[in-house]
Amino acid sequence: MTSWVDVICIIVVFLSLVILSNSRVTAMIRVFALQSFVLGLLPFFLHISGMSGRVVMISLVTIILKAGLVPYILFWAIRHVSMRTEIKPILGFGTSIILGAIVIAGAFWVSLSLKLPGKPVSDLILPCSLSTVLLGFMIMVTRTRAVTQVLGYLILENGIFLFAISLFDEMPALIEMGVLLDIFVAVFIMAIVVNHINEEFEKNTVSVGRSKMGETF
Amino acid sequence: MMNIIFLILAHWLIVLTLAPLFVGVITKVKAFFAGKKGPSVFQPFFDLQRLFQKNSVYSRTTTWVFRGAPIVNLAAVLLLSLMIPLGPFKAPLQFSGDILLAVYILSLARFFMIIAALDTGSSFEGMGASREAFFSCLCELALFMNFITLSLVSHSISLSTMIGADTSLSWNLIGPALLLVAGSFFLVILAENNRIPIDDPDTHLELTMIHEVMILDHSGVDLGFMLYAAAIKLFIFAGILVPIILSIHAGNPIVDMLIFLGGMLGASMAVGIVESTMARLKLNRVKNLLLIAVAVAFFGFVVKMWKG
Amino acid sequence: MERFFQLPWQVPFGEFSLKIDSLSLMFLMAIFILVFCAGVYAVGYMREYQGRRPMGLHIFFYILFSLALVFVVLANNVILFLGAWEMMSISSYFLIVFHDEKPSVRRAGFLFLVASHCGTFLLFLMFFLMAHNGGSMNFDLISHTSFSSGLAGVVFLLAIIGFGVKAGFIPVHIWLPHAHPAAPSHISAVLSGVMIKMGIYGICRVLWILGVLPDWCGYVLLMIGVVSGVMGVLYALGQHELKKLLAYHSIENIGIIALGLGLGLLGESHHMPYLTVLGFGGALLHVLNHSIFKGLLFLGAGAVIQKTHTGEIDQMGGLAKRMPVVSILFLIGAVSICGLPLFNGFISEFIIYFGLFKGLASLPLLGAFGCGLGIIALGLMGSLALACFAKVYGTVFLGQPRSPSAVEPWGKTSSWMIVPMLVLGALCLWIGLFPRRMASLAFLGGGYLSHTDLSSLNMGIIFIPLSFIISALILFIALMVGLFGMRRIFLKGLIPSVRETWGCGFSQSSARIQYTSSSFARLIVELVKSVLLFKREGGEVRDLFPAKIKLTSSIQDASEKFFFRPLFDRLTSLSKKLDIHSIRYTQMYLMYIFLYLIFLLVWKMK
Repeated sequence: MTSWVDVICIIVVFLSLVILSNSRVTAMIRVFALQSFVLGLLPFFLHISGMSGRVVMISLVTIILKAGLVPYILFWAIRHVSMRTEIKPILGFGTSIILGAIVIAGAFWVSLSLKLPGKPVSDLILPCSLSTVLLGFMIMVTRTRAVTQVLGYLILENGIFLFAISLFDEMPALIEMGVLLDIFVAVFIMAIVVNHINEEFEKNTVSVGRSKMGETF
Repeated sequence: MMNIIFLILAHWLIVLTLAPLFVGVITKVKAFFAGKKGPSVFQPFFDLQRLFQKNSVYSRTTTWVFRGAPIVNLAAVLLLSLMIPLGPFKAPLQFSGDILLAVYILSLARFFMIIAALDTGSSFEGMGASREAFFSCLCELALFMNFITLSLVSHSISLSTMIGADTSLSWNLIGPALLLVAGSFFLVILAENNRIPIDDPDTHLELTMIHEVMILDHSGVDLGFMLYAAAIKLFIFAGILVPIILSIHAGNPIVDMLIFLGGMLGASMAVGIVESTMARLKLNRVKNLLLIAVAVAFFGFVVKMWKG
Repeated sequence: MERFFQLPWQVPFGEFSLKIDSLSLMFLMAIFILVFCAGVYAVGYMREYQGRRPMGLHIFFYILFSLALVFVVLANNVILFLGAWEMMSISSYFLIVFHDEKPSVRRAGFLFLVASHCGTFLLFLMFFLMAHNGGSMNFDLISHTSFSSGLAGVVFLLAIIGFGVKAGFIPVHIWLPHAHPAAPSHISAVLSGVMIKMGIYGICRVLWILGVLPDWCGYVLLMIGVVSGVMGVLYALGQHELKKLLAYHSIENIGIIALGLGLGLLGESHHMPYLTVLGFGGALLHVLNHSIFKGLLFLGAGAVIQKTHTGEIDQMGGLAKRMPVVSILFLIGAVSICGLPLFNGFISEFIIYFGLFKGLASLPLLGAFGCGLGIIALGLMGSLALACFAKVYGTVFLGQPRSPSAVEPWGKTSSWMIVPMLVLGALCLWIGLFPRRMASLAFLGGGYLSHTDLSSLNMGIIFIPLSFIISALILFIALMVGLFGMRRIFLKGLIPSVRETWGCGFSQSSARIQYTSSSFARLIVELVKSVLLFKREGGEVRDLFPAKIKLTSSIQDASEKFFFRPLFDRLTSLSKKLDIHSIRYTQMYLMYIFLYLIFLLVWKMK
């Protein structure tokens, strides 16, 4: 096998595509957790020659936070919502997949003209991270529910993470922590907002609240 | 000349004996997952033997098309089996561009199956025929995309060369692209051969079937031919995927054969595991799955072009 | 290979100069085969109209039309070409409007005439530019002069649109789906089989004259091929009128031909002679093949329509039992048009595929993407065409009759109609199994078109695979015979019983619950419903016990609805405004002549 880094990049983009085409929120959150897990393994494989405690710690923290805590919070946020399955996006699913494939091709084409300083471990990192960022954008833009929009944002963050962690040998922990904090804040705010709307409508009749929540989420 | 005849006969012997066994292994794996003992792996042979001895019932509405379709189907897959290498036996029919003959002879078989289904004048078969026509459009799209990538990797447009030695060496260079091609091709195998999650080969509810409902009215010898052809087609498709993944080539023919048989056993178990762990998708989700296969194949093509 | 023939002719700028060469050969073969077969067919087909309609007029225009077709291909001079072109358009108009008692036929004929003349107008412009640059009206002499890159590009675009109207490129194809159902079936066969190819011939001739073209031209033709092909077959899937469906399939096959031509141009601009010959040769062979199998399909459709008196597929059914010979011949045509092996469609598509794969491997990035797109489009077209023709064949010939018109008794189909179809079917099979002759002629034509010397190329790269295909197909036929024998043995002594079709225990089934053409194509049409402008009305179940529900679905041609219809409406209202009501017609024309005289005088006085 060429390099596991290549394979990880490909898997990340593939999983973004799967999330793009999916219509069930629970499945989307699970696939996102898988994607974050795979990304968390990336520091391992990057520094397979020069392993250090710091690399291991970054890996572990990423996995625990992004593959464990964030999905848990998301599941908690949607626990009251009755209609978790059917979402009507702005674009049909077939169109989303085709557009997603074209976006990936476009990202690769754009990467042709982008020259990076230094020599990265794998030349697939830049186009794959750009693809993931763009696919995350697409998910954010084409969905109507708040949970899936936040998921799109999280995928975008994953793409940026993929880019950042591979290209800086000396990974400043500051940037990494900043990125993770970003995600945390977004998810927390969304969870609180959802919870508040929950409580607000729970005070009125249950059925009315349910349908109103169903519309928003 | 004698060499070619020997290869042709060897190919047909292998395919005719191993294809039903392949299906038998899949059934056994599914039974294992269900906690049952399941039928013997040789059950498909007994089924075929029973069918070939039975009399046929024909519908009043049908014409010669209905009686001829199983023959076209079986002849097409037998011709197709000559185009792939099986273990140490090279493909007797290989030339530049043979993938096109392969794809289109399968389309010929499919055409006759669809019109044979419409021949019965039943709405069940019409349903199966319509779905088959639709899904095959998407499958062929993914298939062509995969072939484009493979032809770029192996610098040839002959099926044997595409899945042969050069390609397996390329795992070192273009592993990601081949991984995507293999993944997309696996989905195509499931779709073309009517396996879960696209179609359920064991259900007998006409509303949920695709392939099974097209052959609903066939009986006796015709049904035997259709089932044999389906088994051989699955075997051949798996036989295309296995050499792409298994890149070991010993010089010894016996070892090569064992490696091939092992690979096919692994493929049948993989299909069985997928069938046991997934449920059949809702029909409008099937097209999304096939579109994902197309998108993955396209992604593989992009990665290959990127890598040069 | 070329031969000349010249006659003195008094027309200014014109000369009666004819030339036959390897390029025109393929088109001439198509013309002769189809005109002859359709003519013989017409004897049987038109029998019922004898005495009721002016048959002599029809025959006269048919002969005129055939002559015009031949002269278009042989003409070596601009004036002669344009004259023959006009004669072709006008005589075909009169042939199309044979059933002029129907308003839809009259409208279709008028639309055809307008579209044809729009295209011819552009052709006038284009020929003027070419002759001006070349300093002569003779094709040979013009081809010896060189064109600047910009001028070549402009001429190319004018040719694409001008000839494209006749050929049926999307989006200027809108006359095709109306003219074909309106015309009698043998005329539809010649229209689709030959007249459309005259548009292709015009483009080929212009390419030959221009010689060297800018690089982007190949990509334009490739894109036109992809769009016309895929859109054509998608529109065809949504049709339920037999001849309109066949018309859209002609558009699809023109797309395939354009794809081959685009590949050839790409080969020319990248100096890869193999791509050029494969692309052009494949396109020319497909021209011939399509004439043969499309002619066969239209003649078969005519036989069916003659007996059932309707063109609606959903009114037919079970016709294979009543018209066995026609059904087998139609099946041959259907299998050929899907490009399936054993028949000629596969051979020409194989050559184009082969060229595209070679281009994929050897062209730089943009070219490789173009070839990849071409391969994908061809594959998609093939599978969609398979779906469409399975639908047509299954709904028309198989199953149970869906309406009384398919059940009424009728006489045997006339032999005058069967024999030409047999000839065309046999040709399909012959080219499919023994393609070497025709393929070599096509490659000769392709080489001539691109000014490539074939002797320097090793054509074995395509002939060796073709010979393998032939052996494989013969093995396939042997396998089928063997399996048939085995089936015989297995059923020996057993008499199969005949029952009703298994309906899952439902005993009240009628022929109306069979799949119709729209239900068969529903899955695909609804996948692309925004592209096809698919509309569905009714069909909602409101009450608890609904008695009667009406459901209609339709697709619309986008270029017709959004572009041409508004354009024509606006032009008609504009021309109405120009009508000066107080002056009568004679005076108005006298005024026009008067104005023109003044214009001439002023011009000459300078």
